[in-house]
Amino acid sequence: MASPLAVEVRALSKTYQVHERPPGLAAALRSVFRRKYRTVHAVADLSFTVEPGERVGFLGPNGAGKTTTLKMLAGLLHPTSGEARVAGHVPRRREAAFLKSITLVMGQKQQLLWDLPPADTFTMNRAIYEVSDADYAETMGDLTELLDLGEIMKKPTRQLSLGERMKCELAAALLHRPQVLFLDEPTIGLDVAMQLTVREFIRQYNERRGATVLLTSHYMDDVASLCPRVVVIDQGRLRYDGDLPTLVQSIQPDKRVALRFSGVADRDALARAGKIVEFDAARAVIQIARADLREAVGHLLGLAWVSDLTIEDPPLEEVMRELFSAPKSEEAATADAVESA
Amino acid sequence: MSLLADLGRAARAYPTLLRVGFAEAVAYRAEMLVWMLTTTMPLVSLALWSAVAETAPVGRFTERGFAAYFLATLLIRQLTGSWLVWELNTEIRSGTLSRRLLRPIHPLITYSAENLAAIPLRFALTLPAAIVWLVVLEPGAFPRAPLDLLAMVLSLIGAWLINFFTMALIGSMAFYLESSTAIFDLWMVAFMVLSGYLVPLDLFPQAIRSVAHALPFRYTIAFPVEIATGLVRGQAMLRGLLIQWTYVLGVGAAAILAFRAGVKRYSAFGG
Amino acid sequence: MLRYLRLLGLGLRISISLGAQYRWNFLVDGLVSILYTILGLIPLYIAFHARPSLHGWTYATALVVVGWFSLLKGILDGAINPSLLSVVDQIRQGTLDFVLLKPADAQFLVSTAKFEPWKVVDGLAAIGIFAWAFHLLGRAPGGLDVLASLGLLGCATLVLYSIWILVVAAAFWVVRLDNLAYLFNSVFDFARWPVSVFRGALRIVFTFVIPIGIMTTYPAEALLGTLTLQTGLLAVAGSFGFVVLSRTVWTRAIGRYTSASS
Repeated sequence: MASPLAVEVRALSKTYQVHERPPGLAAALRSVFRRKYRTVHAVADLSFTVEPGERVGFLGPNGAGKTTTLKMLAGLLHPTSGEARVAGHVPRRREAAFLKSITLVMGQKQQLLWDLPPADTFTMNRAIYEVSDADYAETMGDLTELLDLGEIMKKPTRQLSLGERMKCELAAALLHRPQVLFLDEPTIGLDVAMQLTVREFIRQYNERRGATVLLTSHYMDDVASLCPRVVVIDQGRLRYDGDLPTLVQSIQPDKRVALRFSGVADRDALARAGKIVEFDAARAVIQIARADLREAVGHLLGLAWVSDLTIEDPPLEEVMRELFSAPKSEEAATADAVESA
Repeated sequence: MSLLADLGRAARAYPTLLRVGFAEAVAYRAEMLVWMLTTTMPLVSLALWSAVAETAPVGRFTERGFAAYFLATLLIRQLTGSWLVWELNTEIRSGTLSRRLLRPIHPLITYSAENLAAIPLRFALTLPAAIVWLVVLEPGAFPRAPLDLLAMVLSLIGAWLINFFTMALIGSMAFYLESSTAIFDLWMVAFMVLSGYLVPLDLFPQAIRSVAHALPFRYTIAFPVEIATGLVRGQAMLRGLLIQWTYVLGVGAAAILAFRAGVKRYSAFGG
Repeated sequence: MLRYLRLLGLGLRISISLGAQYRWNFLVDGLVSILYTILGLIPLYIAFHARPSLHGWTYATALVVVGWFSLLKGILDGAINPSLLSVVDQIRQGTLDFVLLKPADAQFLVSTAKFEPWKVVDGLAAIGIFAWAFHLLGRAPGGLDVLASLGLLGCATLVLYSIWILVVAAAFWVVRLDNLAYLFNSVFDFARWPVSVFRGALRIVFTFVIPIGIMTTYPAEALLGTLTLQTGLLAVAGSFGFVVLSRTVWTRAIGRYTSASS
């Protein structure tokens, strides 16, 4: 009966009417009586599918429509047109069975009750989601182990650090064992160690329970290490749907070679091998086309003063910057404001 | 950093602050409407007390007397009201106060500009009430002598200042407590009755009236209203002015100090 | 249904444990309540004491209205306001999304999020006022009258709650709404007066728009034994009307938030 696909999106669109507020006294007065509106296309004609158990990363600049898409899939927003199905349900109908099978975690916002310990939020959610005692015990045991929760769930939320709060937030969001996880910038603002913890947790949760994960993040490392598949959205439209290495290669086909020197380096020799990106007394980074890589590396290794050599991909941030370097339209700038509202 | 230079800079920037403040006031139409409605409460009091005075005057107040009193209350509330407590609470809690602190002008000055900017608009919208008031007022009640007029203007300015500084003082509590709106509620409870907003102070039992005359609440509403409607003149008026401006200086000093101390704490905790 | 009762109990339990953390709040709130009650009696005293009766109301009978006002204020401040005020904040911060994600009715969740059970002090003040009023009247309220008034108290609570839902629903259409709560409280303050004191347009407003009649006057009349059956039935019908209206508007508001109607 249930559709085999976890998420199915077809020609999904979302447009907003935003009223313009020009500066100046006269314009301000006029806007009391008559307002001018402009149409913003936050999401335009989006189509993709996700199999159960997949981990998909959504990439795109601010205001691209990623959060709007997630909200439509979670049933929080009604699409202007198009269709979506998640776990066999139509999200906008917000049926109880649907809501029990999904969860949404938003990076900067939390559902934990502020003045009380997270344990109270867990109790609340457990009653609302009607989780049986046996299921609850098992899930909490799992989550406590994976997230190393321990005593922190008994302290009032406002006394916890940002990282501890995020761990409890994840527990609160998952204690009803949803099949589909929507994670909107879950690691934002966290320190590196905590980012790693969260990433590891998501991976293990996905592997253990086969839950589908849709993740948006500005941290390329999150996406690179977690998501075998990425969907790139820009200005509300789908730009790419596939795996990350292929995407990187299509944009930035060159490789980077990092060298360390033991003696004095010959800059010209390096320049002949490829384009010099970095150069100082102890090390250098050269950009070399894939086609020429074998020959160039062979040549470089032959140089006496080269003590160490590694081959890397160009940093993802750079790749993404290239991908989105098309000048931002006015629309996207406003979609920014709309999304962050 | 000389004080003179600061004030000069503030003075030059003030017109622009007023303009922007006006635009902001108009930007949120619904909020403006709600504001308007809130300040029409004296009209309900008017209806109420007119009904009470139908059978017999209450003290020295006839139906017409109540009408004059409450219409004046309406107008003066529009001119002297301030909502700084909420603004401060929100800005402190959300951290947007930092933006204000970065400007080279004292935040209290920018707040005052925003407050004053809204006044012309509010007053314009209550102009019909003002006209009715002038009609209803007993001839000779309106202050005509130069001294009386001066006293009325001073009492209006004093009322606005007490309101503004009290709001700033209570709002500054938000630097220390979770939220200072609880203290504000306490103030409002006392204010509604002891300021003459709900009932003219003249009608109070003697003992309570004396207390009310000593507290600052009267000097935010009832005192200017009493001057404007001819209820207080001469010695009593001058005495009232003295008390009012003592409160202005006292509350003003407290507010500035509390705000400064609060900002230090705010910055120490990384705002 | 049972599930919602259980959730309500849970919400209450959590609120009480939260309240235990803010012990000084209890004291301050108690102080404010008592001050508010005493100060609120002054205008009443001036209007009624040693004066001819006003549209059938004397000082003693008007006190009964004030008593119901205090009781209702306690319910408002303790059970209705805390939850609904935070909704406005949640809309602004975007955390209302979490409420909509839960498989339970949003209005219920939002209304039971927070209680302040220590506001029960207002209830005690009300009983004190009733005792004083009936002392002045020289009699005690009839048993049937008490029952009728308790029934009307239920209606009054429903009306008060529904009006608040309407107010909060407005926050979905408009961004900034801090002062709407203040407006509501200012208007509600007039519920300490018997509704028959008001005439004309104001009377209509206070009977149908902000029905302080249902909220305080009719329960007072019930307790005094002067409520007609017709008025009582109208009050009941009116309160159900309000519940239906507020539910409809709330649903529309949520629809707008989720752009359901676009």
